[in-house]
Amino acid sequence: MTSIDATAARPGRPRAAMRRGVLDRFTDSTAIWPVLVAATALYLIAFVGYPVLYTIIMSLQEVSVGNLRSLSRPWVGFDNYTRLFADPLFPLVLRNTVLFVGLNVVLQCAGGLAVALFFQQRFPGASFLRGLVLAGWILPPLVIGAVWKWLLASDNGVLNYALASLGHIAKPVYWLSDPATSLLAVTMANVWFGLPFNMILLAAGLAGIPRELYEAAAIDGAGPVRRFLSVTLPLLRPTLYALVALSTIYTMRAFDLIWTMTHGGPVDSSNIFPVWSYKLSFEVFDFSGGAAISTLMLAVVFVVAVAYLRSVRAEQSL
Amino acid sequence: MQGSSRRQALAGLMGAVAVAALSAGSAAAGEKITMWHIFGNATEPALANLAKWDKLNPDNPLDHKFIPFGQLSQQLIKGIATGDVPDLITIDNPVVASFASQGALEDLTEMVKASKVIKKDGYFPGSWNTTIWNGKQFAVPGEANTLALYYNADMFRAKGLDPDRPPRTWAELKAASEKLTDPAKNVYGIGFSAIQSEEGTFQWLPFLQQSGGNLRDLTSADSVAALALWADWVKSGQASKDVLVKRQFEMTSAFLGGGSAMVVSGPWELQRMDKDAKFEWRVAVLPVREGKNIEASALGGYVWGVPKGAKNPKLAFKVIEFMSEPEQMKQAWSGGRLPPVASIAIDNPSNPKAYEVFKRQMEFAKARGPHPAWPQISAAVQTAIQSALTGQATPAAALEKAQAVVKPLLDKNPIDGL
Repeated sequence: MTSIDATAARPGRPRAAMRRGVLDRFTDSTAIWPVLVAATALYLIAFVGYPVLYTIIMSLQEVSVGNLRSLSRPWVGFDNYTRLFADPLFPLVLRNTVLFVGLNVVLQCAGGLAVALFFQQRFPGASFLRGLVLAGWILPPLVIGAVWKWLLASDNGVLNYALASLGHIAKPVYWLSDPATSLLAVTMANVWFGLPFNMILLAAGLAGIPRELYEAAAIDGAGPVRRFLSVTLPLLRPTLYALVALSTIYTMRAFDLIWTMTHGGPVDSSNIFPVWSYKLSFEVFDFSGGAAISTLMLAVVFVVAVAYLRSVRAEQSL
Repeated sequence: MQGSSRRQALAGLMGAVAVAALSAGSAAAGEKITMWHIFGNATEPALANLAKWDKLNPDNPLDHKFIPFGQLSQQLIKGIATGDVPDLITIDNPVVASFASQGALEDLTEMVKASKVIKKDGYFPGSWNTTIWNGKQFAVPGEANTLALYYNADMFRAKGLDPDRPPRTWAELKAASEKLTDPAKNVYGIGFSAIQSEEGTFQWLPFLQQSGGNLRDLTSADSVAALALWADWVKSGQASKDVLVKRQFEMTSAFLGGGSAMVVSGPWELQRMDKDAKFEWRVAVLPVREGKNIEASALGGYVWGVPKGAKNPKLAFKVIEFMSEPEQMKQAWSGGRLPPVASIAIDNPSNPKAYEVFKRQMEFAKARGPHPAWPQISAAVQTAIQSALTGQATPAAALEKAQAVVKPLLDKNPIDGL
């Protein structure tokens, strides 16, 4: 519809002003609404709806290499899910995922806020250095995983060397190869990886808080702690909500780092849902199981996203 | 009515013949043969073989793409899911049965039977077996590799061991590993990869076979001894705990850096040894267990396969035949691999001593499978290895758990000799 109108306006009317007029009239009118809605819907259906639906369908079917190509595969209902719930690995991977995501969200947000507040202090080169902190976030996760694996190596790793030199440890710590610490080790690396992104978002949020509020609070006799609690935190709330939602979604997808550092081991001690899903699909060729895990993760992410949207709406209606 | 349907059928048939003729014609003239392979290294001699094909067959040049070894299966699966598969692919030998049993590979039985180049007799039986599923042939061995024991001769001498007499039995290996371990210098006696992936299984299976145990009977005293051997090395500090998360490549790096005095690894590391080792290194065949005297090692290597849905299976097979000619197969050694055909000898091989060792070791190399559920079997074995090495379970308890998974799978489809 648009294209016809737009091209119709073109030939024979050389004056740009005239053409603009027609377009403006068109884009200003409500006539364009269906087009905008249709374009968005088409995009969503093709690039979001289709893969999501495909995954959900796969999780309800029996899928093998042989029938991967066709969509008409044997339906098995919720068998794949009950099979996963019954798997002895399930409780372990669930616990790992909750710990990994929980620790990451808390530490990335708290750490991000601390660093953002630090760089808000005015000192020479503050904004330049803040930019440099982002460097970690720009690197590919595979590179970060390889570097951290080296940092955390038991025998010639940097961290153990530093700790031993400072006299904190007598024996090397087996960060990655001890099931008791492997999840902590990959969490540490992932916090380091995600923190700069949180820091930048929070720095933007902090910049949006009017200076006058701080000045007024200071005149009223509020100290730095009081100012932080009564001015910074409440005004930063929308940003923090967004951040918690975003970092939950990001960490729910974490895969590359763990894959490079531990492969989910030892004995699945650092195995989380995305890693398990990948292992099922591409190592054991259990595509249905992999799809079922993806669907479960999708459900969790969906709940988080809805909670976030509702909080935004509540915030706006205030 | 009848007449018209017959006429239609005839017309259809003629059409089909015409289309077939057309496609055959176009295949002969200028059609490219698509190939996914694992030849990533720029110095990889197999790349020279590909270039040679292009030179000799300008009408059907290869359109080839490198895929890292670890991503082969994943890429093939993606290709199958989207209907975009190449004409020819290199596959890791233990997953052939998985793909074949699920109908993802072309049946090459007839073409191999008719082939003048590819003759079953010459091939190492282990290599050949990996390509057969249910009596049909789904692939052709491309290269073979196996595991042996690399050791640091300088460290041997420093600890009063004779580098000319490498460990021949488990007892000698244990004694050597204990002597060579030097915590003050950060040196471990022995290195191997027990990572939770196929590599861990690949490295442990030789010890399982040497022990006299097998996958069918993982709870037997012999099988348990094979896992206890590894677990004790870690427990006593003769092997690093990092074997649990390090790949073979990383364990070999540790050996090269002087972090371990011995390492279980393959011929693919020879180039790196030549380049990076700052000490005298040697290779020996893996030891045997006293009282059993079973020589064993793992069998690795890729095979050539034609994915179902390939546009030019016939042309692809011609490429397989070309690559299977002795002239091309001989290139394998300079890439750190062996020809899968026993009778093909490398003239003047680099590292002649290592060549002799690996060639001898190949005679005892056993295939992983073929089994359609090999990945599941392997996963259960990996978990057992890791549970025992972390001390979460005793070797016996860990293997008992694995047995519960592995036995039903083997009852359904037994594996010869495992």
